[in-house]
Amino acid sequence: MNKKNKILPWEYSFPSIMLIGLIVVFPIIYTIYISFTNMNLYHWTDYEFIAFDNYRRALTKLDSGFMSALLTTIIWTVLNMVIQILAAYLIALGLNAKGLKLARLYKTLLMFPWAMPAYISILLWRVGIFNPQYGLLNKIRSALGFSSMDYLSENIPAFISCMVLNLWMALPFLIMMMDGALQSVDNSYYESARLDGGGWWAQNLYITIPSIKPILAPSIIMTTFTTFKQFDIIYLLTMQKGSLTGATLQTVITYAHQNAFVSNNYGLSSAVSIVIFGFIILFSLFVNRGIREEHV
Amino acid sequence: MRIKTARRIALLSILNVFFVLLCFITLIPILYAFLLSISSDSSAFGNGFLFPQSPTLKNYKAILVEEPFLIWLKNSVVLSLGTMILAMGTSVTASYAFSRFRFRGRNEMLKLLLILNAFPQILSMFAIFRLFKNMNLLNNYIGLILIYAGSMCIFSIWNMKGYFDTIPIEIEESARIDGGSSGQIIWKIVLPLARPSIIVTAVMVLIFVWNEYLFATTFLMKEENYNLAGGLYQLQANDYNRSWSLFSAAAILVSVPILILFFSIQKYMVSGLTTGGVKG
Repeated sequence: MNKKNKILPWEYSFPSIMLIGLIVVFPIIYTIYISFTNMNLYHWTDYEFIAFDNYRRALTKLDSGFMSALLTTIIWTVLNMVIQILAAYLIALGLNAKGLKLARLYKTLLMFPWAMPAYISILLWRVGIFNPQYGLLNKIRSALGFSSMDYLSENIPAFISCMVLNLWMALPFLIMMMDGALQSVDNSYYESARLDGGGWWAQNLYITIPSIKPILAPSIIMTTFTTFKQFDIIYLLTMQKGSLTGATLQTVITYAHQNAFVSNNYGLSSAVSIVIFGFIILFSLFVNRGIREEHV
Repeated sequence: MRIKTARRIALLSILNVFFVLLCFITLIPILYAFLLSISSDSSAFGNGFLFPQSPTLKNYKAILVEEPFLIWLKNSVVLSLGTMILAMGTSVTASYAFSRFRFRGRNEMLKLLLILNAFPQILSMFAIFRLFKNMNLLNNYIGLILIYAGSMCIFSIWNMKGYFDTIPIEIEESARIDGGSSGQIIWKIVLPLARPSIIVTAVMVLIFVWNEYLFATTFLMKEENYNLAGGLYQLQANDYNRSWSLFSAAAILVSVPILILFFSIQKYMVSGLTTGGVKG
């Protein structure tokens, strides 16, 4: 494993480094550059440098909406993660119950939301489930004699709708990971626990959870990142071009996107993007150190 | 003992009921879309509550004949294959280099790639948009393929590097003693050994491009070069005509190949995703 050669490895990786440089690195640098200018629709080419004004506007002025978007994002991430972890754990426990013969079939069926193309699932939910006239939810409501309701027109129902959809889409991955982790727990632990008279709670708290925690850490961290930067659900459900539903939910990512592509405030959008990237780097450094310490 | 088995059976039946319900609830949106796609317009949204009275395939026929579905499909295939070739062509050699050689800057480079991978690409979409506008790459498959390949390249490098790491270097060394050149060794020995990982990575790149809509709908603005994502997006955006049953027929048609691909590589998805994602 110790081939030493100074030039050959760079030759091998040169094409991909060029590609990544052009598509990933350069746009980030360019975004930093734009974030220090007042570039917008009226200043497409004759923009000026305004130093940190965009950052100041995003971080200190409440009416810029960034801080409330940040708060929404934090609530969104925490709620989703707590519910997901609990639900996935219980479902995976159920799937691993001894004697459940159909477990494999259930597992395959439960994987479907993960396998579906995400944008198609979201659009199907928008059209088939949440739509005020034809959606399934409102068909059930009207069958029960209630009046129909637009689930996406106000912030709190829209937030809950987005969350339900996010759970539907994201749970299969975590269930799968938890299921794998549960199968790796040594059965003899449970036997000795049972001999010592440990009940269901004790077995879960003292055996299952501690043994699957290190295996699950990477997938939980990954899911946290995806939940944090979830854009498609909120965008496609509530703020599609030309068909805003009335809800004004914004997470930091949709906020950056709206400012770039709807209100054409490129400077502000870029500043916000850089701030978000900063958060992500800090968070991943923090998480990486946490994992390393746990392993030592 | 008999009480215990009775309790077990009761518990298992409860679990079975729970899982049957859970699977049913999970599949409702997909089943509903399917029912919509085989129903004639009136019974879909009219009185028929769940099951259409007269199932029909005419929505599928309509989407294939009346809508430019086949053109969208062709465009999606061009994008997916183009991306796959570019991303794999560049990342196979790079992942080999990062796995086999110990050179200055290797660790730093790998860490940098991880940080870059954490960057949500939506955030630099405007910068890419402006850049491509100046380079005349908007409304152009080459532009979109470059974007997709660039963002999947990092994932592919990490994913395949992990697999190359598990191939013992002794195999290569003995081939070298037998007089093979490095090019021959890579082509004839290492790549065939790494084939499972290369195939899985390539399929994941394919699925990614097939499922991507945001860049596709932002960068392909002319109707004639829409791909499936652009076309389906447009179909569901017209609220007030019969396009919804058409849309669900199209949704089913687009999802089926992906479902097949997904379930055929499912057992690799998990390991691939987690090693590519966060391991530092």
